[in-house]
Amino acid sequence: MNKLFITAFLSATTLSSFSQKKIEYVEYDLPNGIHVILHEEHATPIVAVSILYHVGSKNEKADRTGFAHFFEHLLFEGSENIKRGEYSALVEKNGGALNANTSNDRTYYYEVLPSNQLELGLWLESERLLHAKVETTGIETQRSVVKEEKRQRVDNQPYATFIGEIFKRMFIVHPYNWQPIGSMEHLDAAVEKDYIDFYRTFYVPANSTLSIAGDINIEQTKKWISKYFSTIPKGQAINLFRDFETLSNEAFLSKYAVDKSKFDSKDFMNSKDPIAKKLIAAESAKPTTIPRPEKPTEKTDGVTKDIIYDNIQLPALFMAYRLPAETSKDFPALEMLSEILSGGSSSRMNKVIVEKKQMAMQVFTFAYGLEDAGLGIFGAIGSNDVNLDTLQIELDTQIDLIKKELISQEEFEKIRNQFENQIVTSNSSIEGICENLANNYVYFGNANRVNNLLESYMKVTREDIQRVAVQYLTQDARVILHYLPKKTN
Amino acid sequence: MTKHILYIGLLLPSILFGQLDRSILPVAGKAPVINIKDSEVFTTENGITVILSENHNLPKVSFRLVTDSSPMVEGQKAGLSSIAGELIMSGTTNRSKDQLDNEKDYIGASLNADNQTISLSCLTKHLDKGLALMSDVMMNANFPVSEFDRVKNQNIDNLLAAKSDPGSMASNAESKANFSKGHPYGEVMTETTLNNITLDDVKNYYSKTYTPDGSYLVIVGDISIEQAKSMVSKYFANWKGGKVYKQELVDANFHKGNRVIFVKKQGAVQSVVHVSFPLKMKPGEANQLPLNVLNGILGGGGFGTRFMANLREDKAFTYGCYSSVNINEDGSWFSAAGNFRNDVTDSAITEILFELDTIANGYVKDDELNLTKMAMAGSFARSLENPQTVARFALNIIKNKLNKDYYQTYLKRLELITKEDVLTMAQTYFTAKNCNIIVVGNEEVLAKIKKFDSDGIIELLDAYGEEVKEMKPATISKDVLIEKYILAVTQSTTTKAALKKIAKIKSTEEVAELTMAQIPFPLKSTKVWASPSTEGEKVEGQGMVFQRSYFDGKTGATNSMQFGKKEFTSEEIVAKNNSLGIIPEVNYSKSTMKYELLGIENMNGKDFYVLKTNDGLKEAFTYFDVTTFLKVKSVEIKKEGDQIVESTNTFDDFKDVNGILFPQTFTLAAGENVFTGKVLSTIINGKPDFKPYM
Repeated sequence: MNKLFITAFLSATTLSSFSQKKIEYVEYDLPNGIHVILHEEHATPIVAVSILYHVGSKNEKADRTGFAHFFEHLLFEGSENIKRGEYSALVEKNGGALNANTSNDRTYYYEVLPSNQLELGLWLESERLLHAKVETTGIETQRSVVKEEKRQRVDNQPYATFIGEIFKRMFIVHPYNWQPIGSMEHLDAAVEKDYIDFYRTFYVPANSTLSIAGDINIEQTKKWISKYFSTIPKGQAINLFRDFETLSNEAFLSKYAVDKSKFDSKDFMNSKDPIAKKLIAAESAKPTTIPRPEKPTEKTDGVTKDIIYDNIQLPALFMAYRLPAETSKDFPALEMLSEILSGGSSSRMNKVIVEKKQMAMQVFTFAYGLEDAGLGIFGAIGSNDVNLDTLQIELDTQIDLIKKELISQEEFEKIRNQFENQIVTSNSSIEGICENLANNYVYFGNANRVNNLLESYMKVTREDIQRVAVQYLTQDARVILHYLPKKTN
Repeated sequence: MTKHILYIGLLLPSILFGQLDRSILPVAGKAPVINIKDSEVFTTENGITVILSENHNLPKVSFRLVTDSSPMVEGQKAGLSSIAGELIMSGTTNRSKDQLDNEKDYIGASLNADNQTISLSCLTKHLDKGLALMSDVMMNANFPVSEFDRVKNQNIDNLLAAKSDPGSMASNAESKANFSKGHPYGEVMTETTLNNITLDDVKNYYSKTYTPDGSYLVIVGDISIEQAKSMVSKYFANWKGGKVYKQELVDANFHKGNRVIFVKKQGAVQSVVHVSFPLKMKPGEANQLPLNVLNGILGGGGFGTRFMANLREDKAFTYGCYSSVNINEDGSWFSAAGNFRNDVTDSAITEILFELDTIANGYVKDDELNLTKMAMAGSFARSLENPQTVARFALNIIKNKLNKDYYQTYLKRLELITKEDVLTMAQTYFTAKNCNIIVVGNEEVLAKIKKFDSDGIIELLDAYGEEVKEMKPATISKDVLIEKYILAVTQSTTTKAALKKIAKIKSTEEVAELTMAQIPFPLKSTKVWASPSTEGEKVEGQGMVFQRSYFDGKTGATNSMQFGKKEFTSEEIVAKNNSLGIIPEVNYSKSTMKYELLGIENMNGKDFYVLKTNDGLKEAFTYFDVTTFLKVKSVEIKKEGDQIVESTNTFDDFKDVNGILFPQTFTLAAGENVFTGKVLSTIINGKPDFKPYM
């Protein structure tokens, strides 16, 4: 009786003292469909400006893989108003930093600027969205740069191909089959029409989330957003405008049966001519539909086991199980399960396999959460002479233990404390906050999830962790890869 | 009515801004004021300087303890500091490693240690618990032997893994090129040095370097000065230790001419290229900031640098090419680095050298200068977002004895830097002619990078920056080699004639002069020998005999000023008997000498047979010229306790004395000591007196 009471009391106090900082923000849609999220915070006089385009490698055609990432490179090349090479220079010479990244699900661009340069950031991002300009020299250069990136990050790095090797065995039909870096042959084969189509399909207002965080004034920021982004045409009118800017009169005429001279080149959207007005209205009304793949229905049946020879010295084992998408209610439990197995030096796999049995140099596990599906990935870099089948038995044993026996209350508390620490830390920079807000809005339909994140992990029970282990980590349905040193002559 | 207003509201933006002229760049607002909050600084009685930077943005605190010991020269135990660092977290007298790991993970904290620092980061509410662990590790680490063995084993595997990581291979070679063996930066752990490290070494290292005297404790985050003071007195005030370990270090390895250093990586599709050279600069020098501006223009970050504009955006040779200047109390260097596909590796090096040369031969453009200054100012401002930055500034000011307002005036000093300053920096510090050009990659690039080396000889290093001895197989046998050597040195055409010539020599007495940079006067060395097996040797100078030795074939001793008299051990006697006489090789096949011909090695463009011998006491590698068959070099490796002593002899200027060729000049190098020798006289078949040697 007494004991029960104490436990209840303890968990109540723990809950009330969770230390997540609340992220205040406002969000709204522009008429053209751009979603805006603003977070004001004055600790440091800097601002992060970002746009998340909901296009990643899974939106690519199977014969044009690598396009989303390649586009990320091309969209630094310039615009109708920004000369080639000036985009990054403008940011840097105004004391800012910029970069971008592409995943299977989205492409993300950002600048971090001194707060008095917010307007510059908005102008730059609006130019990228409205009418990016890519010349042939730019395409050729970035094609080679991306090839170097692949050599540097994948081909020349030990074990670095394992993610790609897992995905292509796990997803046969769904475009998670390939990685964002894609195929260099596909990039070589691309023609101008491919680029234009990709830009017109995915780089449109309705596919964009503009997230801004930092030392801003919300009202002033809204005005500038209106100035640079509300003026971007909605629906298919954006592509009408792009055609107006890039096509010859002849081509434009044959496409739309309207002469370019009917439009006001200074104020396109407010063209006075009735024919022009009518066409703009019609194109604006056309909805933008973003092609998205079907969620994978394919089930991973049976075990796929392969050997891969790489330029490595130590053998390695990789295993993967199919998990639900990151939005699944089971995902937090899966992440906590992964933490028990390999998070921190006291984790089970590290203690037993690395430290006690010394069969591996390093063991890691992670719940790879994506929009359409997830993967539970296990990896172990073996000790010098280890047999990978034996190593696999050790990993399996640890997974079985979780399935058979509820984790202890103490271990459970440990994992909860670790997640609390991680979540508090995840909002420590404005750039991080900016990206977290955008991701949560796009994938979970709820930017406020940044504030409820801790709760979703604290809801998980020990039984949940056991249940997801049983449900998802099934030995008869997985991919197993053995990495072995390439034999040298 | 309501509807009407809403309608206007929606339309308003496009009416107001419809005629937005997008070609006009927005004008920046008023520059924000940059505030650097002062840190609190106080000291403890046991010698710790505490720096506190409060920041209550997140409910987290970090404590970082930095000891002030000099890095240690580790020599044959390279890697000691890193092994010791790894082991600090392996348990204390109060907690086993498992307990420690568990307690740390239980509060979700990170607690890490290396050979100089221990850092804790945790939520404020767990601070007390976290500090209890941190101070326990700091004061009571107990280095269990089981963990020592485990960490050692793991490092053996780590070393193996490093062989497939081109980035660490390049860094190893770079460290070794910029800093010589006597400098801690020039030391890289190998399987051999790892094996030399004992648990006692680790314990010694820890007690020598981990001490409160002179150390710094940097506290950042959600904590008040009162709380900080009470935590410090609770957890750090009773830490005791000796005086901080300080050591003078040798200079970096400045050299003339470009060196090309190649590290082979099987199957590489890209080359990792580093172009690097040491710099003469200490942290906080007035030239540091303008040098940083120069580096920023050249390749210090961002997409707009000369390296990026040339090698990425123009030529598309790479995903990225960056340069850095690394300024440290113990040694400084410049490095430019990038990954380039195999077929453009040489072109990329050409461009890097071109940019280094160009920037030292003309003013940078105003645009570039402004861009870099603005980028640096921006990066300075952005760095202030991280609460650790302010504390780092305070630490640097104290550690490097900078002006109190060094960071307050940073932006102002940056603004004043001119293109003249930048050119002066380039001409003072940069060079395209004295670079270490390090290439880690596929063998197919080797032929094309030779042209960058001043003397045309590429140095081949392994994954740890050790010289690679790559050999071609020899086409003759070990005994044929010895026979050819004997013919050459006796200038005979048949073995019979050669042996006859040797037999005629009953005694020798050779006097040579030895010079060494560190010794202001020359030394005299005398070696005597009488058939069959009596030997004497002495070294003297300034009227003193420093060392002498005598051996009569059965017994003998060495006698030195430093160590006194030492009788030869039985192993030494066996070894001596294995190489007796003026041409000991004659007797190899009849003695217990183990010898084998390893192959042909290329050294400075010439080929040499390498004969490996083992006389029971030491291993030696002897080099014979493939055309003359003369002996030009021998490297001896001897184990003394757990030390490995390596010495190298070279021989040159052969002269005919009584029909036999004797080298007239030679060098003898052991560690940092190099003797140069010149033969003054050689007496054959005289009547040597062995008394002075006994």
